Amino acid sequence: MTNTRLPVAGTSPSRLLEIENLSVHFSRSGKLMRAVDGVSLHVAAGETLGLVGESGSGKTTIGRALLRLLPEANTQWQGSIRYQGTDLASLSRAGMRGMRGRMQMIFQDPVSSFNPRRRIEDIVAEGLVIQGVPKAERRTRVEAALADVGFALADVAGRKPHQFSGGQCQRIAIARALAVQPDLIVCDEPVASLDVSVQAHVINLLQDIREARRLAMIFISHDLAVVKNVSDRVAVLYMGKVVEMGSGEQIYDRPAHPYTRKLLEAVPVVDASRKLRPAADQQAIPSRIRPPSGCAFRTRCPRAVARCGEEEPILTPAPRGQMVACHFPHDETAPFSTARQA
Amino acid sequence: MSSPGAPLVQGTRLGDIARAAMPATSMLKLPGGTLFEMLAAAFLVFLVLIALFVDFIPGLVSPKFPYGDFSQMPDLTLNGLLGTDDIGRSILSRVLYGARASLTIVFVATCLSVSVGLLLGMLAGYYRGMLERMVDLYANTMSALPSVLVVLAFVTATGTSVGAIILILGILDIGTYARVAKAGVISQNNRDYVLAARAMGATDARILMKEILPNLIPALTAVMPTLMAGLIITEGSLSFLGYGIPAPAPSWGGMIASSTDLLSRFPVLIVGPTMAIVLTVYALNTVGDYLAHRLNSRERGN
Amino acid sequence: MSEDLPILACRDMSCQISARPKALDVLQNIDFTVARHTALGIVGESGAGKSMLVKSIMGIAPASVRVNGQIMLDGQDLFAMKPRDRARFIGRKVGIVFQNPMTSLNPYVPVGRQIAEACRQHFDVPRDEARQRAIELLRTVGIADPEDCYDYYPHHFSGGMKQRIMIAASLICHPDLLIADEATTALDVTVQKEVLDLLQTIQEQRQMSMILVSHNLGVVAGRTDEILVLYGGHVVEYGPTSEVFRNPRHRYTEALLSAMPHMDQPTHTRLRTIAGQPPSLANKPAGCPFAPRCGAAEGPCHTTMPDMRTGTDSRHRFACHFPLEQTVGPAVVSGATDRGARAQ
Ligand SMILES: Nc1ncnc2c1ncn2[C@@H]1O[C@H](COP(=O)(O)OP(=O)(O)OP(=O)(O)O)[C@@H](O)[C@H]1O
Ligand SMILES: Nc1ncnc2c1ncn2[C@@H]1O[C@H](COP(=O)(O)OP(=O)(O)OP(=O)(O)O)[C@@H](O)[C@H]1O
Ligand code: SF4
Ligand code: SF4
Ligand SMILES: [Mg+2]
Ligand SMILES: [Mg+2]
Repeated sequence: MTNTRLPVAGTSPSRLLEIENLSVHFSRSGKLMRAVDGVSLHVAAGETLGLVGESGSGKTTIGRALLRLLPEANTQWQGSIRYQGTDLASLSRAGMRGMRGRMQMIFQDPVSSFNPRRRIEDIVAEGLVIQGVPKAERRTRVEAALADVGFALADVAGRKPHQFSGGQCQRIAIARALAVQPDLIVCDEPVASLDVSVQAHVINLLQDIREARRLAMIFISHDLAVVKNVSDRVAVLYMGKVVEMGSGEQIYDRPAHPYTRKLLEAVPVVDASRKLRPAADQQAIPSRIRPPSGCAFRTRCPRAVARCGEEEPILTPAPRGQMVACHFPHDETAPFSTARQA
Repeated sequence: MSSPGAPLVQGTRLGDIARAAMPATSMLKLPGGTLFEMLAAAFLVFLVLIALFVDFIPGLVSPKFPYGDFSQMPDLTLNGLLGTDDIGRSILSRVLYGARASLTIVFVATCLSVSVGLLLGMLAGYYRGMLERMVDLYANTMSALPSVLVVLAFVTATGTSVGAIILILGILDIGTYARVAKAGVISQNNRDYVLAARAMGATDARILMKEILPNLIPALTAVMPTLMAGLIITEGSLSFLGYGIPAPAPSWGGMIASSTDLLSRFPVLIVGPTMAIVLTVYALNTVGDYLAHRLNSRERGN
Repeated sequence: MSEDLPILACRDMSCQISARPKALDVLQNIDFTVARHTALGIVGESGAGKSMLVKSIMGIAPASVRVNGQIMLDGQDLFAMKPRDRARFIGRKVGIVFQNPMTSLNPYVPVGRQIAEACRQHFDVPRDEARQRAIELLRTVGIADPEDCYDYYPHHFSGGMKQRIMIAASLICHPDLLIADEATTALDVTVQKEVLDLLQTIQEQRQMSMILVSHNLGVVAGRTDEILVLYGGHVVEYGPTSEVFRNPRHRYTEALLSAMPHMDQPTHTRLRTIAGQPPSLANKPAGCPFAPRCGAAEGPCHTTMPDMRTGTDSRHRFACHFPLEQTVGPAVVSGATDRGARAQ
């Protein structure tokens, strides 16, 4: 894979997390599946990186790999994950435990991310207990974390997860992550299962916390509008590879990769002024076990030519500053872009 | 698939409804069992009380010494209620003391197999690999062999003592408990709350004890009565064959064995010990079914 | 059946679930029509009663649910029919696609056969012809090599493909009305778009009517003619889609629209939130269902249920005591831009 440590516009030099050449392979009944294939990413302190891509593109796998939460059976992974100067990939299990408090994860399903048999205050305090925080301090920190997400300790004391709604559970999950005072939170589709009116709460809450604590986030979602709202930079994944990466404006206003364009076109927009013309075309999604030669997107790409099948495109800077892995990147504003109308 | 639609109804959240529609007090009500299941549970409680307090039943004679004529027919006195056996001991007294013996053996053996099985199963489910294969092999072997034969072979080797019987009965069910625990662990292994605990830096031991173990308890409790019923039968068979608790201590199986000799002449005398085994096993199985059913419906509800 | 008769008309329909200590009202005063060759969008949050509404129309609501009122399907009063006839009638007139393609298909039967069998149940056709029809339907919904796919099992297909197959199955009886209940919710964006495009194409080509149910306003926005907003089991707003999106009159619709992140907002825009939770069935507010969360709620909102009233466009109706102003303006290029600007 190529080195992507070329400067990208809009990045700060203080990199909190730097992933290089991360690959994760799962073997399923003898077949090797490259869930993540040579991904390099970085996140600066206080910055939010959005990860988008269709189902199965490897978003969750990257998030879990960062926190070393991948299953151990049938999994191989390699690459370097430098976090605050430490290479997580080379740490032992015990060494990794020492780093745990500094990065946290929020899961998609708010209900299953809690042990149904434990009480909320114990759940939120769990990380502190593990870190050996004394009891008195634990209580104040749990209270503070709950207060950050809009709960008083008295509201939740003695109650179990099933007594809370999805949105409330997601707020408690955020409190649990905040209680250990991490510098980075990986949010894996944190609002996907919430209703619109509740989703807005959680997004705003994450934004407030991000500002107040200078928290870095990796925000995984397939809702591109949500990602646009929360992210400073966005990385687009296709079949385990980053195909485009850049600032929010670059990606959303001048997407260079045909796949990014396809994704953006597919976003349902609340625009009822005209009736949509349904498109008739559709292409099969290629197999993950035997990916196409050359560019993995070529089976669905309207621009594909012979060269795309022979030579794999590598991430290179596009004219507009973002990084793109395509032989023939677009250089015009997106036809659906709203920048055009403004 | 019939008309597009009809059989496809799904996807409503009944659990939510049930919870929303249920006033808080109804949570405290006895969890809805049928009258039959209640009776079975009551019978088991009664049996445990007997086992604990049989010494204090006023007027009950010792089970080890003759009290009346040989093979006396049942009458309406306390000690003669079920008749006397071939050497004149009170059958009622022996059945009641036999309950203590059987329950103690089964209880201790179950404690043994649950603790070892749980430990093995949790480790096997958590770390998989070699240990998992060994647990599977063990469980499969044990369920393939007729348990009475295994126990007999063991007891002939070690000699009959209460300790040996408990040990071998305990060993019998380790595999089954281990397998139940293992399945529970595997199903939780990639649940988000286990991942969350790992992300917090919890050690494996802490994850196993705090996150996984509490969620295994219901499944284990549900299989326990059924397995205990099996142990009662195995222990009874063992005593029946003369390899059980050494005489003259009373045991249900041994009593059935001694009354079979006289079965043609005094068939009533076999009723007491037989009923004791049948009722106990039946009650245990009923309660086991009830627990398993409850467990399923609750998991579906969540 | 005359052409100007609406395909579906619900008049003062309501659904009650029998429960302790009192029956729960899931839907109340539902009133709407679906004209021929048009598409209606039904939107609302989880628990608003969208699926219950669809199931009541299909006559497949759970046994504990009592449906009252009048449902006219293709000019026939459903409740005046015998249950058996009703089921057949609905089966012929309406096709339905549910949210979860995994549970809707029998995993042990090849997909083509599932469609063919359903075909044989409705029309007394020989096996070969049923097979031909099934293959034809699979082709219609854009399955490549339908002859081969006929013998594949559901697990050979991706979620989007399964949903296409479900659409094929729903078309067996040439229904006049196609209902898609969150048919694309489980799919990811690109596939969702393909399936929605397919639904829309089929609706237009076959001159059907369609009901598109979703909790995502974006899904119904450009694809329906009319839209019905459900909240807490009530219709709170109902009208031409473009009207409702451009100028929502009910406070809930407006709040919902501005709570959504839009593609044209700059990064880190604060979203407008709606305080509180949707009402629970067990304790519904006495007045407007939205009153506990509504910023404009005043006296009457808490006590009396607002009646449906009409805007300047008589087709645009809403149930609010203090509706938003009618902002008469030129049709904007994008309803979303308009809203984004106003929210700030
Ligand atoms: N433990 C595992 N064993 C084998 N394959 C796996 C495992 N976990 C994930 N995969 C596979 O890896 C690929 C990437 O999965 P991943 O969950 O990262 O996708 P994702 O981008 O998060 O998708 P989604 O949007 O559906 O969550 C998928 O094809 C998935 O089937
Ligand atoms: N079988 C049932 N018995 C009792 N209550 C039910 C039943 N099915 C649904 N409900 C309740 O009726 C209300 C409406 O449910 P419905 O499934 O129609 O909501 P929905 O709008 O489709 O939501 P979602 O977006 O989650 O699918 C909910 O409060 C739900 O809990
Ligand atoms: S490299 Fe070729 S096939 Fe791949 S995205 Fe670019 S144009 Fe399309
Ligand atoms: S009726 Fe009152 S409470 Fe309901 S939406 Fe209108 S203003 Fe708000
Ligand atoms: Mg994922
Ligand atoms: Mg629904």
